[in-house]
Amino acid sequence: MKLHVRINGEARELEIAPGAVLGDVLRQLGLTGTKMGCREGHCGSCMVLVNGKPMNSCLLLAAKVEGAEITTIEGLGDVRNPHPIQEAFVEAGAVQCGFCTPGMIISTKALLDNEPHPSLERVREALSGNLCRCTGYAKIFDAVRIAEHKLAKASGNGKSTRRPHRP
Amino acid sequence: MSIVGKSITRIDAEEKVTGATRYGGDLYEKGMLHVKVLRAEHAFAEIVSIDTSAALALPGVCGVYTAKDVGGTNRHGLIRRDQPVLADTMVRYKGDPVAIVVAENDDVAREALRLIQVEYKPLKPIHTFEEALAPDAPKLHPEGNLMGGKRIRKGDAERALREECEIVVEDTIETQTVDHAFLDLESGCALYDGDMLTIWVSGQWVHEERRLVALALGLPVEKVRIIQPATGGAFGGREDLSIQCFVGLAALKHPGHKVYLRYSRAESMAARHKRHALRIHYTMGAKRDGRLVAAKVTVWSDEGAYASTGIAVMRKASSHCTGPYRVPHVWADVYGVHTNNNPTGAMRGFGAAQLAIAYEGMLDRLAQELGMDRVEIRRRNVLRHGEPITTNQIITEATAGECLDRALLQFAKGIDPSVGDDLAAAQRVWESRSYATRAPWLRRGYGVSVVCFGLGYGDAFPDAARARVRFNERNELEVYTGAVEVGQGLLTMVVQVAAEALGIEPERVRVFAADTHLTPEAGSSSATRQTYFTGSAVKLACDELRERLLDVAETYFGVHPFEIKISNGILTKVGDSGKRMEIDELLSEARRRGVSLETQALFKPRTIRERDEDGLSPRAFVTYLFGSHICQVLVDTETGEVRIERHIAAHDVGKAINPELVIGQIQGGVTQGIGMALMEEVIYGSDGRILNAGFTDYILPSVRDVPNIEAVIVEHEDPTGPFGAHGVGEPPLIGATPAVLGAIHDAIGVPIRRIPATPERVWRTIMQAKAEGKWQDVDPRWERDVKR
Repeated sequence: MKLHVRINGEARELEIAPGAVLGDVLRQLGLTGTKMGCREGHCGSCMVLVNGKPMNSCLLLAAKVEGAEITTIEGLGDVRNPHPIQEAFVEAGAVQCGFCTPGMIISTKALLDNEPHPSLERVREALSGNLCRCTGYAKIFDAVRIAEHKLAKASGNGKSTRRPHRP
Repeated sequence: MSIVGKSITRIDAEEKVTGATRYGGDLYEKGMLHVKVLRAEHAFAEIVSIDTSAALALPGVCGVYTAKDVGGTNRHGLIRRDQPVLADTMVRYKGDPVAIVVAENDDVAREALRLIQVEYKPLKPIHTFEEALAPDAPKLHPEGNLMGGKRIRKGDAERALREECEIVVEDTIETQTVDHAFLDLESGCALYDGDMLTIWVSGQWVHEERRLVALALGLPVEKVRIIQPATGGAFGGREDLSIQCFVGLAALKHPGHKVYLRYSRAESMAARHKRHALRIHYTMGAKRDGRLVAAKVTVWSDEGAYASTGIAVMRKASSHCTGPYRVPHVWADVYGVHTNNNPTGAMRGFGAAQLAIAYEGMLDRLAQELGMDRVEIRRRNVLRHGEPITTNQIITEATAGECLDRALLQFAKGIDPSVGDDLAAAQRVWESRSYATRAPWLRRGYGVSVVCFGLGYGDAFPDAARARVRFNERNELEVYTGAVEVGQGLLTMVVQVAAEALGIEPERVRVFAADTHLTPEAGSSSATRQTYFTGSAVKLACDELRERLLDVAETYFGVHPFEIKISNGILTKVGDSGKRMEIDELLSEARRRGVSLETQALFKPRTIRERDEDGLSPRAFVTYLFGSHICQVLVDTETGEVRIERHIAAHDVGKAINPELVIGQIQGGVTQGIGMALMEEVIYGSDGRILNAGFTDYILPSVRDVPNIEAVIVEHEDPTGPFGAHGVGEPPLIGATPAVLGAIHDAIGVPIRRIPATPERVWRTIMQAKAEGKWQDVDPRWERDVKR
């Protein structure tokens, strides 16, 4: 069947199997930054934005996103031109094996797009669908706070001067 | 030092945050053949026959292979080669592979698996120690179900417990089966070009994987090439072979075609080895003042179906059975027993983690009996410099006590920042810690642990790392190491050590790692050994090259090389910065004079094998690491839920080459330790199947389960390590679990004997305490502190 979506800003017409999940479709397009860690919707490594909302692409039937705007980790930035959230994860030392990182960044983006200055509990809630086996999460919290500041600065809204929180 | 000790950005971070990094599963290309594995239908059965004809007849199937198609020994295993690549006569656990299918696509491969007819003669599966050791129990292996054992005989523990000890505590502690649960599932590809078999699969020791694959599949070692893709975590779970032989065999049968295999989470959990579940009987005796006198320990270890690294895990358990404490009389027996559970092998902590739960738990029981503070009893017993550890190895720098002090200072600072570095003040804060909570059924508890870890393989097992370095035509330093990056930051460590040793900018260093045909063997990324081993090998190679360069520079400076220093890529005369030379200039000069710009080094420190009769050795391990944790929990005694309020982990890492990476290792290790303490457990059904082979039911710590882990770096430079460093990988996990369990014990007044301490188990433990009259509805400490 045919699927019409915008992926990272680009309109695409794709031929998909009716039962295909979005994560597999994206990975087959070469967008392998979207990882698959469990296919049960628990680890969050496959998180992508569907019309701005974070979704586990391992459980989402591709057929259900007809007409949607999909953003994957590749849509945020690349090594030469990283997104401020990606920079924040590097600066915070929030990356170890890196397998959960794209999903974590996508969840962070969904959160900060809607709430530029989230409370600690909101950060925790937003990241509760992303597992990390390496870091113990502390530096991921730091990364979210650094990203918050970077984005606030970039948007000219420098009102947040809070120091990075910890969980 | 200008680069070592700095938290430079890890060199692979930018690729990882942008999704550009390619892990094994990302190597799929259109046109690759798909490999799938058929696994045993029974946990224990003889194979009567295998009929693959129906599967072979399915359109799209390129081949179906069984044990008879394997060219070599068809066996692998890190210590004993006892595990079949494909089961031939028998299956011994539910994850045992029986056949592989190679097909044009995934769906066909899956369908073909269903068409393979295997006739079994099932045997009654063995799941417990008792079943395995029953006289009429069927044998998993010809040698029987008792796989082996390790022991410690130091002093006379029996007599000391009887005659010298004034107080004796005794208990049985059971630890669970744990899954590594790295997120990056086993996956990768292989190609046989008619001459060379190349395998792109993540492991932990490429050169050993090459030896094992070559032997099992019947190829000369030099005809197998293993290349490590980016790796999403390992934690010991990639130490045994995973899919290497399956893709290797498929590639050999289909020359010129790339073959691809990727496990699902369920298959990954069903197939892979696990952490050993142990049953530990521990008797600990002391004087009334808390001084330890004797320990008698009997350990039963579930080895599962195959040997894996089991015997080494048993040794780590026996050699670490009294931890960092001074115990003159030790008697320990560790027995490994085969069952039809998954094979058990390496996982972060490697036997030392389970024993730490036992010795720390017993120390808490002793403290409780004696009415002694749990910090105080540890202070009285931790080793001092120059005292012997369990195996009688003399610990010249025993920093366990220092780690305890540093953990205590951090604990106190969180309550009263004015404590600063005043240990006496910290002690007062500790002694006045509060048990006040919102309600009497919410109980607070504080746990303390002090742990040790012998770095490396130990006991004369060959343990070495090599490194080769060279300046290329662009004057970059190329470092070649066989060591694998699994997420811990090894590549960045290598850059920092090389840059520091040669006095060059880190940007000038290029690391080439983990390719058997390009890089020299470095041993495994395990046993907390790579900073120490590969760090040392890289440093030795760079030191050698530096000396050679300084000889060249002597002519220019007109002084002895000792008086020339290199820093940030610039050579100067010591004490006279007037005359200088760029390293680029020096390298041109060296080339002009025909001086080689390449060196290789081997780092192979010696350890001494334990004596069979008593398990003692003057140098069982190259060096020991110490750490201490303090954990604060809140237990809801109505539901059994445990919330961790604070967790402090102080570790002596020798020298933190990259402090941020060290902190990351500590925080991550503690989190896995919390998982082991509270939630993670592989559960087998009566048929031997894992009932919770997925993240829905195998619960990992999430962002909601861990506090901000307070990592404290203790630096007591190790003269035998690179720039004073030794390691950090495993100790944070080892320290975490007993501290959490100790805190629960403190909160509810009775110990948890079987872990993980799930809400149900905690609740049942409380119910039992109530039934035994060991329970007060209101903790007197709560009453006291609420009024305060």
